[in-house]
Amino acid sequence: MENNEQLERFFDQMKKQDEQIEIPAFPEVKIRKFSFWIPAGIAASMGFAFLFMQEPATVESAPPEIVIITLQEDENQNQHFTIEETTFLDTWESPTASLLTDY
Amino acid sequence: MNRNQLDHILKAHHRDAYLWARQCCSFEDEMAKDVLQQAYLKILEGQAKLKDASKAKTWLFSIIRYTAIDEIRKAGKVVSLSDSYDPVELTEEVDSTDYEEIIKHLPEMQREVILMVFYHQMTIAQSAEILQIGLGTARTHYDRGKKRLKELITKVQIQEEYGK
Repeated sequence: MENNEQLERFFDQMKKQDEQIEIPAFPEVKIRKFSFWIPAGIAASMGFAFLFMQEPATVESAPPEIVIITLQEDENQNQHFTIEETTFLDTWESPTASLLTDY
Repeated sequence: MNRNQLDHILKAHHRDAYLWARQCCSFEDEMAKDVLQQAYLKILEGQAKLKDASKAKTWLFSIIRYTAIDEIRKAGKVVSLSDSYDPVELTEEVDSTDYEEIIKHLPEMQREVILMVFYHQMTIAQSAEILQIGLGTARTHYDRGKKRLKELITKVQIQEEYGK
């Protein structure tokens, strides 16, 4: 039989002293759990980003290709030019047509 | 083993775990609190798994010990191998009721085995498991630690007597 009385007494006293030690409260450990919401959120954000990053195709207005310059005479016999730009010409008159009739 | 079962085991051993963490951290309270928190995190995050519920205390003590070793290393308080094996001589006067100071004069392994057996009521085999050493080696540390501690206690008592 081992004679450990001295040591047992020593540790009994040590334990008694340790009863005064303030034991910290059991910590509420929040574990870093993999949440379903994280990948779902990332996917949703990427979806939105994809939608917004696609720039709407701008409808380019056709450049005016035809300039119609007409010389008009008002009721006071004053002549003045009117200039208009258009992409199409619904009536076309040859610029030399007047020569055929006037001369 | 689910989270609730682990919580239950940890709560049941919380007091012992804290005292053991303190003993592994040279009785430094703040470091012991950090070590314990980290050990619990390791367990609850699944980094350390308990296979046999009957060995819960041994398993928990082992995790705390290794976490404390890491923490001490990080803090730069590295003890050289010779320092950890050679007994520290009593140079200054130590109060006979300053149990922590007396225990600190034991070499590290002897101190751990002695604390586990006499303070935490574990067997030498359980201590060997925690320290991850062979039973024979643990028994050697136990015998030497006991002898050394008895000498220290006697020395402190003589110092007190002589002082009077």
